[in-house]
Amino acid sequence: MSELDLAALDRDGALEEARDGLSRAGFLGTLAATGTGALLALADDAGAAPLRRSDVEVLNYALSLEYLQAAFYTEAERSKALSKRAAEAARVVGAVERAHVKAFSSLLGRKAIARPRFDFQGVTEDSGDFIKTAVAFEDLAVAAYKGQAAKLKSGAVLASAIGIHTVEARHAAWMRYLTGVQPAASAFDEPQTRAEINQVVKATGFVSSAPRTSARRSPRYTG
Amino acid sequence: MVATADPRARASMDEAPIRNRSSRAELLRGGACAAGLALAGVTAVGLPGVVGAAPSPAQDERVLNLLLMVEYAEVGFYEAALRGGTLSGELESFAEIVAEHERAHLAVVREALGSAAEPEPRHDFAAATGDPDAFADAAGRLEDLAVAAYNGQAANVTPKAFAAAARIVSVEARHAAWIRSIGDRPPAPDATDQPKSAAEVREGLRKLGLQL
Amino acid sequence: MNRWRAIGAGVLAGAVIGVAAVALAGYGDPATPPPKRPELPPAPRPALVIPPPEGLGRETGLTRWAPLRRPTPARAAPSSAARVLARLSTRTPERTAHPLPVVGRRADGSGRLWLRVRLPILPNGTLGWVPRRAVGGYELVRHRLVVDLGEYEATLLLGDREVFSAPVGIGQARWPTPRGEFIVRNRLERYQSPQYGPVAFGTSARSATLTDWPAGGFVGIHGTDRPDILPGEVSHGCIRLRNADILRLAELMPVGTPVVIR
Repeated sequence: MSELDLAALDRDGALEEARDGLSRAGFLGTLAATGTGALLALADDAGAAPLRRSDVEVLNYALSLEYLQAAFYTEAERSKALSKRAAEAARVVGAVERAHVKAFSSLLGRKAIARPRFDFQGVTEDSGDFIKTAVAFEDLAVAAYKGQAAKLKSGAVLASAIGIHTVEARHAAWMRYLTGVQPAASAFDEPQTRAEINQVVKATGFVSSAPRTSARRSPRYTG
Repeated sequence: MVATADPRARASMDEAPIRNRSSRAELLRGGACAAGLALAGVTAVGLPGVVGAAPSPAQDERVLNLLLMVEYAEVGFYEAALRGGTLSGELESFAEIVAEHERAHLAVVREALGSAAEPEPRHDFAAATGDPDAFADAAGRLEDLAVAAYNGQAANVTPKAFAAAARIVSVEARHAAWIRSIGDRPPAPDATDQPKSAAEVREGLRKLGLQL
Repeated sequence: MNRWRAIGAGVLAGAVIGVAAVALAGYGDPATPPPKRPELPPAPRPALVIPPPEGLGRETGLTRWAPLRRPTPARAAPSSAARVLARLSTRTPERTAHPLPVVGRRADGSGRLWLRVRLPILPNGTLGWVPRRAVGGYELVRHRLVVDLGEYEATLLLGDREVFSAPVGIGQARWPTPRGEFIVRNRLERYQSPQYGPVAFGTSARSATLTDWPAGGFVGIHGTDRPDILPGEVSHGCIRLRNADILRLAELMPVGTPVVIR
């Protein structure tokens, strides 16, 4: 299982994803690397202002968390193992997180990070585990957006980030309500740094890597 | 050697048109730095089409006073509701906890403004003391309005004010989802929360009972 | 950035002049009302265009697999006391990851999750149970390869839609291609064996007759240096395609695709 180490680069993963045409970088792992490489081709449509490199980095960080959430809710919905209210939450919130993924991927274009691989280890297949983890993910997303939004240089990107930030807070309150926990634990929500967020995500063990299913060797099938 | 692509099952991505223009505010921000002029509090008079004004301490003050009105309204609303005595059970607990949060928000915004804080307007929150359904409905609208107010001003403030506002706005969003959950309404139906302009916020506050 | 700064400076210069003009007018004329307090700027138009949230839809024809994470006994029932049917390893004979088709799930008495999987053992079609923890993340596949032995044809479906079809060579009578439901386990290329063509896929199907074959006697789907004998019963069990066809298939079919041989 790959680590959430900002300095690491999953080269084989990046190459395989490159063939998909989806992206050029691995989950969280290459955000440091994008700073050293040359800035890739600019805006997608003529006349639009290019994205600043630092904004690209923040957007990719947000995208990585949206990928995590989207995958989590989507798998939970498909598992058909959830209680009625948890299943409804997975259905509605999953659709929103998938829409977020599309939005970020579209904006970033070729600069978007690769779709990561996740192993939710049965958490999406147990109603209790699912909802507790959903609470943690949404609270985490709120803290992450709050921590990252301040770094954004473009007003247009900032406007997008804060609109999503409050939706994640609604999700957090909703999931907490479903677990019987107070939806707003205190009067103020605090930001968290990337290091703090990464540590939490890493500790879940959910981030996986693409299994290696190809090889260059002579076949020994029956023929 | 033939290199072949290894396709993976993947969700199709809609290629929605991307609008990625920098705001005019950025343009002015850059200009202000270059010119070294402090034109705090003055928008670009006589320049049609320019919408933005750079963040500044003076603009922060105007923004915070707007948000102060929002917090006055919220505190007033919940306190009226609790005094009204028509709430019980889950709605009453909600009002008690949220009133406490809003008082804390009010304190933070007031402290940030210091002597520049505008006085509390008069208010008449009829829905707060009406039947519980009316209360829940009005509370939802008020919290949604707070979210839209804060989001509408996020690009207008300096980093310091932004940080303070950021800690508050997500809690307002939690409140909004919470009251909807209690009322069995969809807590988070939209993919993004739309901002409201200062004028729209004031109008919304008036409709709810704040006499601005 | 410099260009924007220059324009910005020009804009502000204009603003100064505009304000000065208003101020001067104010001095001279007591009837002119003082400048109104400026309104706060509206929020910038967002950079992100968020499409309307969409549900998952019907999702027919979706299968899933998961890679085995650690060597695990596959059991006859979802219980650690159940009989062992096979000891699974994390690598195929080709040393690639081991994808297991997941066809069911059950929680045992203590709430632990077990998955029902297709086992790559004889008799073909054997199902067994492994703990959820023994496998990694799920991969979903929308494609399905159907090999019709009677028609000597392989068809790749995406949902309900046929996206590829080609004539195939199949096993001779003494080494028949087995019928049943299997999975594409791996993909090999850049090798020097022309009898397998340019690319070869391994499946979980086992030859029932070539039980002593090195590397287990798994049925492959691959190209050939004898396209002249296709279609027909020509192989030791493998499904052979003409090289142009296997290359086309390789552009479309991911590892993990279920293979239905009938």
